[in-house]
Amino acid sequence: MKIKKEIKVDHLARIEGKAGIDVEIKDDSIDARMVVTEGPRFFEVITKNKRYEDAVAIFPRICSFCCTPHKLTPIEAVEDALDIQPSEQTKKLRELLYLGNMVESHALHLYLLVVPDYLGYSDAFEVARRGGGGMVKDGIFLKDVGAEIQTVIGSRSIHPENAIVGGFGKVPPKEKIEKIEKMAGEGLQKAVDAVEFFAEYEYPSYVNGSRRHLSIKPYEGYGVYGNEIISSDGHSFKIEDYKEHLNEEVASYSFAKRGKFMGEPYTVGAISRLVNNSALITGKAKELIEKYREFVNPENCFANNFAQAIEMVYFLERIKELASELHDIKDESIAKPERNSGDGYAVTEAPRGMLIYYMGIEDGIVKNVDVITPTAMFLPMMEVDISSMAKGLWEDGYQDREFIGKKIEMVARSYDPCISCSVHVTRL
Amino acid sequence: MKIGIHGLTSCYGCQLSMAVVKRILDISEKFDIKYFYMLSSAGKIEHVDVAFVEGSVSTEEDEKELKMIRENADVLVAIGSCAIHGGVQGILFNENVEYEEAFRTVYGNRDMEYEGRIAQPIDKFVKVDYRLPGCPPEEEEIMYYLATFAIGSWPEEKDYPVCAECRRAGNPCILIEKGEPCLGPVTVAGCDARCIKYNIPCIGCRGPVPDVSWFDSLAMTFKEKGMDREYVKKRMAIFASRYEGLNEMIDKIYGD
Repeated sequence: MKIKKEIKVDHLARIEGKAGIDVEIKDDSIDARMVVTEGPRFFEVITKNKRYEDAVAIFPRICSFCCTPHKLTPIEAVEDALDIQPSEQTKKLRELLYLGNMVESHALHLYLLVVPDYLGYSDAFEVARRGGGGMVKDGIFLKDVGAEIQTVIGSRSIHPENAIVGGFGKVPPKEKIEKIEKMAGEGLQKAVDAVEFFAEYEYPSYVNGSRRHLSIKPYEGYGVYGNEIISSDGHSFKIEDYKEHLNEEVASYSFAKRGKFMGEPYTVGAISRLVNNSALITGKAKELIEKYREFVNPENCFANNFAQAIEMVYFLERIKELASELHDIKDESIAKPERNSGDGYAVTEAPRGMLIYYMGIEDGIVKNVDVITPTAMFLPMMEVDISSMAKGLWEDGYQDREFIGKKIEMVARSYDPCISCSVHVTRL
Repeated sequence: MKIGIHGLTSCYGCQLSMAVVKRILDISEKFDIKYFYMLSSAGKIEHVDVAFVEGSVSTEEDEKELKMIRENADVLVAIGSCAIHGGVQGILFNENVEYEEAFRTVYGNRDMEYEGRIAQPIDKFVKVDYRLPGCPPEEEEIMYYLATFAIGSWPEEKDYPVCAECRRAGNPCILIEKGEPCLGPVTVAGCDARCIKYNIPCIGCRGPVPDVSWFDSLAMTFKEKGMDREYVKKRMAIFASRYEGLNEMIDKIYGD
């Protein structure tokens, strides 16, 4: 089989981490590969034989964009392993901290990484120079709301150290919680504007195709914590059984692992959460979903950008609500372990989708770790969509390498891939 | 002034810190940003006055790219713990884990088209002119480095520990008073002792102070506080994996 054409994006800009895309157009097929060239970082090896307190401080270094999920999820796993019962106040503060990361991550992705594509510019600086300054500033404000929440509760917005097993080193003062509440209120209209922006763009039909969406079944409302995983076609399983259901494969061209569910590619992330759980959404975001129902399209990856904008609206309202429930915040002691050894499992909804941690602890020392990140889960599905985009354009007569390259980059960016997360990397 | 902002193997947190400083839009006007691939698809590696490099060298590609960046930069700044010290992924070096072994543990018995390596700091491969420490760096320091370059001057690196800032802030000492495993005495300052203000013992994320002899007295204190040898070795090495004499020093303090 002769290769007719090869389209290569050696280093994909405007994503977290380092990866390229390779598309081979042959006589009878088109193959796309997401080539992850970022080096491996062996997090399960480097946290092994460390005390669990130290291990949970190392995990956030997997990725700066989702450092908070990479702190709070292993904390859940340790608490599950050692039967630690955090207080109700701790649970609320953690959810608030988590949602701060969610808003920051979505804002960074949408305004700094995605919007330049939609407007035809190289970066947000150019967007700002060419009359889009207001929009970039909106994005920076929303990012600031998320960063402020993580700073107030977590001690800083990248690698928050204040969240620890059992609680918090220091509980934030009431005035700071009230400031968060106010900022979230101020950000709401900007997030609504983002939804309206993305609702102006039709999704490219080349990437339409059925797919399974996986997400958690939240404990409460449209929350980020749960212990059961559900699929859009009705399957469900407990987190303890994840290994029986979620397989990971290795490809020779990538330091990232690649997820399969029931032998097929699947997807996770904001669109998957909306597909599976949008009935749990309330308030302004619910109104927007009803208004733009057709944009919550389960068959098109571009719906993920729209879904992230919807989530910013919902999570800002939820942040206001949570902050208002914390007006009587008080100092608390840290919850202690009931035992020193055990196996713990946790799954949460990180900005890019489900994040799974397993930790085996013996006498306070970490003996086994398994981490499955959202990017590793959706990589094979992303390759399917990249192939479809290239194939669609090619068959419609578009043969310009650069043009096709730009379009397949947009496909990749819609997934919001986190390459550092995907090469952290998990045990087979 | 032309600048480039680059990332090797890392969490991208240093680049993200640079991207989200409050005055990023002013910076984008004041400086001619030639390369910032995390934010822009317009860049290519070309001559710049100052290049900032995040991340450790963990692949052959990292090494090639780093050398190309160096050839094209008048001044090269290593930003963050990965570039300066190898980062948390450098622990493998301290624990004498071979790349092959780590690889097989994680990926199984397979061959890759690319070869990875045990993480190394960038000064193992190129000359580094300045270091901007942190995991990630503080906004104030990022602005200080940019500002000094902009006026044709250069930044002064801190060589004193977090402890100094902590004393000045008037915090109670969680190491002496509570026996917490605080690495503030051996970690380079600049964070204003943030974690200690939150009752969290310093984990050393900004990297070791240049004078590593401070580690000896801290190990002695840890021993007196009843912390076990293996724990002290592992904790001290998280962000100081390239301090080659660390394990021997601790063995000497703890005795046989």
